Amino acid sequence: MRIVAADARASRQGIFVSQSLSDAKAIVPDLEAREIDRGFLASAFADFANWHSNASPIVSVLTDQAQWGDLVLDIEGVSHLFGSEAIMLETLMDRLAELGFTVNGAIASTVGAAWALANHGAAQIVGEDARQALANLPVAALRLHEEQIAGLRHLGLKSIGQLYGRDRRSLQARFGTSLLLRLDQALGFVEERVTPRLPLVDHYAERRFAEPIALMDDVLMTARDLGFQLAARLEREGVGAQAFHLFLYRVDHKVMTLSVNAGRATRDAAHIGRLFAHRVDRLQGEYDAGFGIDMIRLAASSLSPLAQHQIGAFESADGAADLDRLYDRMASRLGPLAVVHSKFVNTHIPEQAVELEPIIARTEDDPQATPDRSLRRPLRLLPAPEPVTVAFAEVPDGPPPNMIWRRVRYRFVKTSGPERIGVEWWSLPEAMLGPSGGDKAVNDGSGLTRDYYIAEDESGRRFWLFREGWYGEGAFPRWFLQGFFG
Amino acid sequence: MQGLSKHQTLQDLRTRIQALEKRPPGLEENAVAAGKPGLFTLPSGLLHEVFTDLLGNAGAALGFSLGLARELVRPERPAILYLQLLHEAQELGTPYGAGIATFGLDPANLIFCRVETPIELLWAAEEAIGCPAVAAVLVDVGAAFTALDFTASRRFALRCSDTGSSLFLLRYGLGREASAARLRWHVEPVLSGKAPFDARAPTEPRWQVNLEKGTLGLGRAPVDLIVDWTQNGFERVDAGAGADGLQAPAPLSGAAFAALGDRLSEAS
Repeated sequence: MRIVAADARASRQGIFVSQSLSDAKAIVPDLEAREIDRGFLASAFADFANWHSNASPIVSVLTDQAQWGDLVLDIEGVSHLFGSEAIMLETLMDRLAELGFTVNGAIASTVGAAWALANHGAAQIVGEDARQALANLPVAALRLHEEQIAGLRHLGLKSIGQLYGRDRRSLQARFGTSLLLRLDQALGFVEERVTPRLPLVDHYAERRFAEPIALMDDVLMTARDLGFQLAARLEREGVGAQAFHLFLYRVDHKVMTLSVNAGRATRDAAHIGRLFAHRVDRLQGEYDAGFGIDMIRLAASSLSPLAQHQIGAFESADGAADLDRLYDRMASRLGPLAVVHSKFVNTHIPEQAVELEPIIARTEDDPQATPDRSLRRPLRLLPAPEPVTVAFAEVPDGPPPNMIWRRVRYRFVKTSGPERIGVEWWSLPEAMLGPSGGDKAVNDGSGLTRDYYIAEDESGRRFWLFREGWYGEGAFPRWFLQGFFG
Repeated sequence: MQGLSKHQTLQDLRTRIQALEKRPPGLEENAVAAGKPGLFTLPSGLLHEVFTDLLGNAGAALGFSLGLARELVRPERPAILYLQLLHEAQELGTPYGAGIATFGLDPANLIFCRVETPIELLWAAEEAIGCPAVAAVLVDVGAAFTALDFTASRRFALRCSDTGSSLFLLRYGLGREASAARLRWHVEPVLSGKAPFDARAPTEPRWQVNLEKGTLGLGRAPVDLIVDWTQNGFERVDAGAGADGLQAPAPLSGAAFAALGDRLSEAS
């Protein structure tokens, strides 16, 4: 057991990170030690990171050094919103400190330099050239491995400044390329990119509140206003979006996200507002504003070009736009999987021939899968075929004379069939095919061939049922009811 | 004296209610003239109830309702929506795209909406009626629930007459409660007619249709028919045919002989 983190009081008494727990207890007998809860720390830190996207859209977490990460914000073009870089740094650090955290931060032109200053220096702002600022920092500030640091110490190279101008080849031979890479990254000779935590959005509109708001109605009203701003921006660029995300930044460093999707690209602010209103209806108890929301951002993604639309004159009244709006509304309130349409699939197996596809994520129709209207298919299909008891058919492959379904007996007066639907051997897994390829599975049925019958009982109910496998294959062939005709 | 004034008051109230009640335009007057020629000529914007006795007849109820709904489809009103509670799908079966194509409807125009709670079902139905491109909304109510009361049906009826979409409530069982539906149908499947080449095979759907509430127009006889669903829509099965499905052959046009001007045809 080793020490992972120690507070200021413990450090004063001589406890340091990576010390073994028994040593520490020997120094301070009444030491209060708690086991690290990595899961909790990681999720809390992730919340932090999300929260900081209210300061800058590009937030990233570096996980290669610290236990739970270092927060990196790309503040290119953002700092003026706070006044200046210095004010921004101060604001961000103050609000974390107010929450009771120990914070250190720095602004530099490279990730490496900022990391070095934040972890091993004081809070400061360094311009383009970081050489001077880094020179006096220990080599550990370069994000190196334990062995590399120990090796450098051994050679008497303790500060970063001592590495400047050394023979690169011998450094590489001793410590590997990663040392040089880290040095170059810190000094800006090699570019280092950060991967944003949240998907990057080009189009967004946001509003900050002097006083935190909490009521859902206020949030929705703001979302509507932001919708108009965003719509104007999208219109200027001639694009529409299919996905809209509402980020609610809570005062207590949590971010709530609400997303809605539209069936076709849109930039109709009123429609977007309505979608969010319906989406919120579905939230019910999940909405919790905590101590309030101090910033709301509306972002658009899945952009596609959307030309200016002429109203009137040559409009064809096929209602497609009305329908799309209806489906969007329903999907945002009832869930995206609630509104579906029949998508035909090129297969003979009845329950696989029609898929229910969400209408807001409609895909191109497969021209080969158009249903054959001459085949008699039931109006209603049971999602899972239900087993029924059928007395022996009178003749081989003959129609069933009756059935017992859900404990009720039905005597059939009229029947037609069989319609044999064989196994699709070309889609079977290799193991089921046997040595002679598809022939075996097809020839012996393997219990996968179905004979379908249409049967009508005395009172005119028309059923669609099938026998699994071939006649005489087993002593008791299994029968299933799969659908009802009109 | 007392009786007369009571009678008078009732009469007054009736007149006021009639004035207040928003009647959808032209059910009585224009229905016969304006609609497409068909067996059931229906104006749009009505609330229908389609009752059938057993859950096992769900296919017949759906078929009949889709048949009525198909006649309401117009180029500017292409869509038909079908709403069902998710947990009733296995009980009643869900509409099957391939079967709907065979039935004579374009599956692309039939959209399914599967909801989780009765309240969502009502919300979705009301939302769907409000869309000007929806011809008909079919709501499958497998088990009756309390939220679907007279007030809810009144809401539906008013909204339907406002927007011109029609709503079909598919109901099961023998119970009937008060509702604002203008038309209440009762549908039962009937043994189908004779197939042309196979007497033992079932053919086109055949239903016993009974209009329990409302009329299709002033002065029209009450509807109590046996109908077939054919390629051309509903077709009345001749009353003389009976339930065994023996359809009488088309009567010879005896009048044709008399209409001939000369006597040549008779002479030959």
